[in-house]
Amino acid sequence: MPGRPTPGKPTQGKPRSGKPNAAARTRPADRVFKFLSTSAAVSIMVILAGVALFLIIRALPAITASWSTNPELKSGVTGGFASFWAYVSPLAFGTVWASVIALLMATPVAIGIALFISHYSPRRMASFLGYIIDLLAAVPSVVYGLWGILVMRPFLLPLQEWLNAYLGWIPLFSGKVTSTGSSILTGAVVLAVMVLPIITAICREIFLQTPKLHEEAALALGSTRWEMIQLCVFPYARSGMVSAILLGLGRALGETMAVAMIISPAIIASFRIITEGENSQTIASNIALNFPIATGMQRDALIGTGLVLFVISLAVNMVARLIVNAGTGRKKVFWRKEKVSTS
Amino acid sequence: MKAFRFGQAAAVLTAGALALTACGGNSSAAGTSSAGGSGSASAAADYSALAGTITAGGSSAQANAQAAWSAGFKAQTPKVTVNYDKSQGSGGGVTNFTAGSYDFAGSDAYLSADQATKAQAVCGTGGAVNLPVYLDGVAIVFHLKGVDKLQLSANTLAKIFSQQVKTWDDAAIMADNPGVTLPSTAITTVTRSDGSGTTQNFSNYLHQVAPDVWTAPVSNKWPVAGSSAQQGGSGVVNTVKAGDGTIGYADHSAIGDLPAAAIKAGDKYVSFSQDGVTKAIATAVTPAKSTVAGDLGQDIDYTKLTSGDAYPIPLISYDILCTKFKDAAQAKLATAYINYVVSDQGQKIAAKNAGSAPLPIELADKIRATLKTVS
Repeated sequence: MPGRPTPGKPTQGKPRSGKPNAAARTRPADRVFKFLSTSAAVSIMVILAGVALFLIIRALPAITASWSTNPELKSGVTGGFASFWAYVSPLAFGTVWASVIALLMATPVAIGIALFISHYSPRRMASFLGYIIDLLAAVPSVVYGLWGILVMRPFLLPLQEWLNAYLGWIPLFSGKVTSTGSSILTGAVVLAVMVLPIITAICREIFLQTPKLHEEAALALGSTRWEMIQLCVFPYARSGMVSAILLGLGRALGETMAVAMIISPAIIASFRIITEGENSQTIASNIALNFPIATGMQRDALIGTGLVLFVISLAVNMVARLIVNAGTGRKKVFWRKEKVSTS
Repeated sequence: MKAFRFGQAAAVLTAGALALTACGGNSSAAGTSSAGGSGSASAAADYSALAGTITAGGSSAQANAQAAWSAGFKAQTPKVTVNYDKSQGSGGGVTNFTAGSYDFAGSDAYLSADQATKAQAVCGTGGAVNLPVYLDGVAIVFHLKGVDKLQLSANTLAKIFSQQVKTWDDAAIMADNPGVTLPSTAITTVTRSDGSGTTQNFSNYLHQVAPDVWTAPVSNKWPVAGSSAQQGGSGVVNTVKAGDGTIGYADHSAIGDLPAAAIKAGDKYVSFSQDGVTKAIATAVTPAKSTVAGDLGQDIDYTKLTSGDAYPIPLISYDILCTKFKDAAQAKLATAYINYVVSDQGQKIAAKNAGSAPLPIELADKIRATLKTVS
């Protein structure tokens, strides 16, 4: 039990016990499965490249066009913007802004749930809770949207009025408070519930991998359970938690339906979160709302905003990867040290 | 055990492949349509020899009417299937039409000059015609505790929707509603967050009838900041219903049991009625500029609607089709269908099932005349 390897710990180098011949002879089945899995891996690259290529090719005309003179771009859903960048930057801001608010609310709760499952709850309850959390991820986003409109909007309305009345001097809560509840705060609460499962699941896995020896050592030194978590679990899981949050961010960035249904949008960059007319719009929801009526160049412009979202998501995921990799690298050293000390 | 697992996977794969081929087969159905249709548009009742599939899509405003029409048409011509894809929206309908994948497109606006040029690539130099087949009105819905009847003049409406009037007991609203006690509740305007033909019509109406108050542009995207913007007509209706002091605009066919304001036209306040819309279209439209013979794109002059029995904010949605189809059999199918749509029976079915307003007789006659030239 205590000897469970950390993620990223290389096991290939060591010769495994038994059968030295197993790898030497290749059988037809081996070759078939190697081919299948290789082509599956390649197809991912091809699909990704295909999507990127499609986005770039369709978006280029709208990015390079003159927005003030093009008859399609200067009217309708893209009307009133000087250039593609003037159109997309408030949208990019809104996308990140809504997701960050959602994460601020989701992260503490998710870590709390994960800790409870991994370190506090009785075993049977842990698996039941884990199952419930996974179920949360299976609910379609249009259902979350409806829930947001019918339940959360009226539910959060008094809170928003209170925030505006008493904390209105904070820029975040300033402006004309919403009267229908379609604010970015309501949207972010629903988004938070939606990203909760992904953060919880990853954190739970990482917390469970904390070396038992560390935990037992901490407890043996007289620390309480909470001190043990602070001393052993959090330092060990730090990079994993960061990447879980970033993966949650990736999920929130691309969420479309729930945001489109709940938030009353405007294409502006605004930090206000409880107003009606000053909610920053997100890229994905803007595309969903306006693509049906958009024509020709307007569609290209919307696809261009999709390209920007693609780049943002890619960047977030790459940062998450980097952090995970850096984290496991450091831990490897830590692991070896520990091995020396226990042997 | 292993072999069994394999079998399962293979079964799933085969089922998937079958499903895919089944989908692929659909599109070729059009090619097998019989060429022996009666064809002539005047023989409106005899569709029995027709067979095949009509592929179309676009405006979601027409969706309910198209569903009623295709069911009604199917009852007379069991071998014809009409697929109308409402998820496309007007823009998607026109885009797919000019790409050649639709027999006709549903759109809340007639083709722009640019789109008409694009359509020539599919339809040949004859181009495409816009046929106004679906009429409705923009209803001004509201929800205000203690008030179930409201009268509004165009100027007041423009003031409310441009955020210049902020409470219900404002002098402008009081002047329109003598004898009614209005609360001092704040006004929340509810608009569409998605691009919409309804928004285009409503902003155009305000632009024409209240030019002094309404300075925002005419657009299919709501042009004034500060409103509560909701997705789709149903989003607007639900939000108006859930709030207090809310007012919004939506296609009349979508408002359910919400009260709608009577709008001042001339010196009377006119409530929505299907007849009122038909009268409005009969008096207020002028043919839009077009290079295509028989094109029936219409511009609405809202300022002409002063008679007191015409509803002041009518709405037109078009079906757009080529004057010359690539496949003559497909042309017969499409013209037979549109002929049914504009027939007395078709318009009545839509009025009953979708809440649309029947076409004025002269306009229906003009559409039938244009359909005769389609081949």
